Amino acid sequence: MAARQPRFNQAVLIDTTPLPESIPKVEEVGASSAPLMSASYFIGARCKAYNDDYMMCKTEAHGRGEFECMKEGRKVTRCAASVIDDITKNCLQEFRNHWECLEDNNQQLWQCRKWEWNLNGCVFQKLGLEKKIPGAPEHETPVHLRRRQIYSQNEKGVIT
Amino acid sequence: MSQFNTRERNLPARGYRPGYYLLGMFAIMGYGWYKYIKGVRELNELGREKMWSRIHLIPMLQAENDRDQVRRYWADQDREQELMGKKTKIYHSDRFVRPTYSITPTNISK
Repeated sequence: MAARQPRFNQAVLIDTTPLPESIPKVEEVGASSAPLMSASYFIGARCKAYNDDYMMCKTEAHGRGEFECMKEGRKVTRCAASVIDDITKNCLQEFRNHWECLEDNNQQLWQCRKWEWNLNGCVFQKLGLEKKIPGAPEHETPVHLRRRQIYSQNEKGVIT
Repeated sequence: MSQFNTRERNLPARGYRPGYYLLGMFAIMGYGWYKYIKGVRELNELGREKMWSRIHLIPMLQAENDRDQVRRYWADQDREQELMGKKTKIYHSDRFVRPTYSITPTNISK
């Protein structure tokens, strides 16, 4: 019976009541998973302080973080949105190439190194944000900079 | 019987000395291990990369979800005030509890 259409007795089954006026408005990020993944290290680079602040607030609130950390949460969202905004303003083509590649390749980062390098270069030049993987072994090349990606299936993963 | 036995007939044994075959086996196996360890280390690093990419995103996603939950909770409380005349506490705790059932308004709220 997979062909049967689901029937709901209401058009929208969600509560759309907005937050009260006393809470400052914040625009949600609204990006889907592939663009977020593509931008994640830049979000981490710029917003680390806000992110850590928010997570610490949640830990220390002992289950009431949903109410008590709304201010920190707004900062986190604004910061992440600002990163996405700056990337789309300055490096739109590189960003789009990379996340569309991720979308086409099961979101496996190692399939899209060529586009990633272009994006990283552009973002570092224009915004000064750098991709760094914490905890990676120091004596070897970081995995995202290796010329040969041994798990890559396609030409786009390795530099030709 | 002795016509099948090479030793009794003083014929040379076929092929190389057994030690060379053993060495060859170790060489092939060593190459395999080398490639395998290289692959495992690469996988570890790729895993670390993916994990940190998610760690950087978690606060943002969590903040968005929390805001949504609080919005729904306060909307529920307001609706309860309107219908029942008071706001009740259903748990003996101040913590935020994610509702098991989400109650939706009869009319789509603007």
